[in-house]
Amino acid sequence: MKRRLISAIGVAGMMISLAACGGDNGDGDGKAGADGYAGQTLTVWVMDGSSPDQWQKDVAAAFEKKTKAKVKFEIQQWNGIQQKLTTALSEDNPPDVFEIGNTQTPAYAKTGGLADLADLKSEIGGEWTASLNESSIFEGKQYAAPWYFANRVVLYNKKIWADAGIKDTPKTRDEFYADLKQIGEKTDAEPIYLPGQNWYHFVGLTIGEGVQLVKEQDGKYVSNLADPKVAAAMETYKKFQALSKAPKDKDEATPQQGEVFGKGNVGAFIGMGWEAGIATKANPKIEKEIGYFTIPGATADKPEGVFLGGSNLAVAAGSKKQELAKEFLKIALSDTYEGELAKLNGVIPNKEALQSNLKGNEVAEAAAPAAAGGGTTPLIPEWAAVENAPNPVKTYMTAVLNGKSPAAAAKQVEDEFNKRLAQQQ
Amino acid sequence: MTVQTERPPSGPVDVAKTTPSRPGGRRPATGKRSGAFVPYLLLLPACAATVLLLGWPLLKDVLLSFQNLNMAQLIQHVTEWNGVENYKQVLTGEDFWRVTLRSILFTAVNVALIMVAGTLIGLLLARLGKRMRLTLMLGLVLAWAMPVVAASTVYQWLFAQRFGVVNWVLDKLGWHSMADYSWTSSQMSTFFVVTLLIVWMSIPFVAINLYAATTTIPSELYEAASLDGAGVWKSFTTVTMPFLRPFLYATTFLEVIWVFKAFVQVFTINGGGPDRLTEILPVYAYIEGVGNQHYGMGAAIAVLTILILLGLTAYYLRIVLKQEEDEL
Repeated sequence: MKRRLISAIGVAGMMISLAACGGDNGDGDGKAGADGYAGQTLTVWVMDGSSPDQWQKDVAAAFEKKTKAKVKFEIQQWNGIQQKLTTALSEDNPPDVFEIGNTQTPAYAKTGGLADLADLKSEIGGEWTASLNESSIFEGKQYAAPWYFANRVVLYNKKIWADAGIKDTPKTRDEFYADLKQIGEKTDAEPIYLPGQNWYHFVGLTIGEGVQLVKEQDGKYVSNLADPKVAAAMETYKKFQALSKAPKDKDEATPQQGEVFGKGNVGAFIGMGWEAGIATKANPKIEKEIGYFTIPGATADKPEGVFLGGSNLAVAAGSKKQELAKEFLKIALSDTYEGELAKLNGVIPNKEALQSNLKGNEVAEAAAPAAAGGGTTPLIPEWAAVENAPNPVKTYMTAVLNGKSPAAAAKQVEDEFNKRLAQQQ
Repeated sequence: MTVQTERPPSGPVDVAKTTPSRPGGRRPATGKRSGAFVPYLLLLPACAATVLLLGWPLLKDVLLSFQNLNMAQLIQHVTEWNGVENYKQVLTGEDFWRVTLRSILFTAVNVALIMVAGTLIGLLLARLGKRMRLTLMLGLVLAWAMPVVAASTVYQWLFAQRFGVVNWVLDKLGWHSMADYSWTSSQMSTFFVVTLLIVWMSIPFVAINLYAATTTIPSELYEAASLDGAGVWKSFTTVTMPFLRPFLYATTFLEVIWVFKAFVQVFTINGGGPDRLTEILPVYAYIEGVGNQHYGMGAAIAVLTILILLGLTAYYLRIVLKQEEDEL
């Protein structure tokens, strides 16, 4: 909540600073002159944690070498990003290039805020993995470029697991549960930190059950939370959540679960590989204790369903530096830097051919087995409104965890959910 | 006519008259000496600031409330007028009325608590010795000077589920079930934290105001009252109260406005949650408008909020206007 407020203040600040930039830099129309794009600065919004400092430095250097222009990375928070992005895109001086979540892309494509990237696709996008590019296409047009993809894994504290006498990482959901139970009995650590509203993990569980959160009815999208398979996914979530002392009404970012884990008294948590960095930052001593494994599924041959989170890079339709922005994308998405990102962050790159960069990366090796069975929330423009706070899916989860039956909880949030899906665009 | 009967007795009216009409009182004097336009000139900065910072946004808000303005319209700068559609949707939905009722109850409870506690502390200030008064006053001013966001953040920490000091203390005191209690998990516990925060932040204003009011009471009146055989209670109701009444009116009026629009406290503590159950009108306007990117709708709710607030404070406005009239 605090962050949302900070970002709200940030928007205000941003508007002022953007307006201020607009007044005096006189970039012209961003076309290359005799001296390339010298003197120009491209603003790029990236999300917190998505690209390592090293990558930003390398890309900026390559970009400057090729175009003579500078690039300025601005780090954004996921919480409240849609409000901030909408405001920024309506300004005279929007960020030229920005990272946008795959589930949010269709809605923004529909608003007309994203530039058409058809030429970029034909130039560099020939090998983009089709399934990863799906969210960038709206009504047949290419509105963004796929950047990276990632799914959640289990991050665990090796010392605590060893103290509990567990030798191997679990292969099935039941083994996982039994291991956590054992940690609870044999050590004084909290077996797992699982806040009530880690809804990306919940979406993963529903994908594992083979069900979507919305369904189509009479040409409209409506809530599908009442489906018994959704209830089954929620029951799984609840079973594991009961082993945690984490708040039932908070998500994984409040407080950052990595920080909680970093204190060294938590057996495991379900998160993105890079969240290990948060833990290490909070407590450097924890680094050597962190291990990763694939979230185990119901049976050993099929890992748990996961939410295939991903980010695209888009160019603001209102940016005055379209050409330069595309130059940036060509560099950032080139095999060299796309590969570097995959290597540094352990994320899935946008081309199959670059996956070799993941060899030997612990996070990626834990994540990869589940990725094939991964999925996303429906890629429809109506979806973005659902993610706005208060997200009805989160409300549903908290209600079930607080003792409501899944059916009753589904009924409780149905109106709000449907209202958002039907929201005027 | 009803206003006439509610008017405070003669003594305090003087007090009431002098407070709100001080700038007006000065006017004739300066007017005669240095031209009639000087007072207007002096008013100009304040008026300009008000028009610029309040009037203009208000006008924009009213205009927005008649538009269909969502993500797409905002990004593409399209203006789509849709008449009273936003108002129709808001007023026919049950959400709005539920939130309105909640806001009014919330305001009533908070203002009552603030006024009672503030008055008691104000009277205590009047009775204390010099050193204790200074200490208490200092504490009050510090609480008052705390920026709202900072105070809300501190309260969030105090009442945090896992590492909050409140749960820790309750646990140490033997109330073990509170060790991991989530204050933000239910409507009432969230309101409890928010109310505590608002009351704590508002008491200083009322207390200091009331203390200032008591200093205007001439001590002869108490002497006279005690000669007439009045006890403590009697002299409070017949001497102290009449002097305090106009101050009580003014502070209650201000507190109603402040509590009614206490967006920051409610929003930072739990974002109007759980399950949208602690949304008061300004938070509701924000979540529908900015949060759900339904800006026209949010604007309509904001306009209605202003109208409701005007309605709530109409009674006091009437008293003030009536007094001004009496003076002329």
